[in-house]
Amino acid sequence: MKKTSIAFLVALLVLATSTWFMSSSGSLPAAEWIQYLVILVLVIFGLWFAFRRLGSARRNEPVEDEMSKRIMTKASSLSYFISLYIWVAVIYIKDRVNIDTEVLIGSGILAMAVVFAVIWVIIYLRGQRNE
Amino acid sequence: MNNRIKELRARHNLTQEELARLVNVRRETIVFLEKNRYVPSLKLAYDISKVFALPIEEVFVFAGER
Repeated sequence: MKKTSIAFLVALLVLATSTWFMSSSGSLPAAEWIQYLVILVLVIFGLWFAFRRLGSARRNEPVEDEMSKRIMTKASSLSYFISLYIWVAVIYIKDRVNIDTEVLIGSGILAMAVVFAVIWVIIYLRGQRNE
Repeated sequence: MNNRIKELRARHNLTQEELARLVNVRRETIVFLEKNRYVPSLKLAYDISKVFALPIEEVFVFAGER
């Protein structure tokens, strides 16, 4: 239950701060709107995750079991591995393109979150068959 | 690895939710097991077999064995 509350809190905090940032910045370039949309999709994914856990708790079943833990472990390890390459790409871009460091770091973090979400969905849909 | 969980569950008049509760997993895990989309740990396989009062090898069958 504690983890579920934290997931709700983090999702709402991310949504609130990004909405506040977007509304206080006036007119923004398209790239920033795309970033905001990606954040929105990730927040929806996070909320879906939290509601899923809440539903399990209400049905008196474990919020995590061996299958969900195995999917999470696999998704985490694979996304970490891919993230290393993302940061190599970010460093490569930084030296060649004139972009603010804050924007690059923000994009890198966002890309890590997207990669994790995509990998989790793929592993979940494919299932865990014989290995 | 294939299994006979769906068949045995029907024979024992158990719902997916009831079986999930008996072996302490989410209902979703039972759904995945019945569709052969998840290979359980030895402990879960043992717990499920215990519910049906059968040895593990009669519930879980390696594809090459049949």
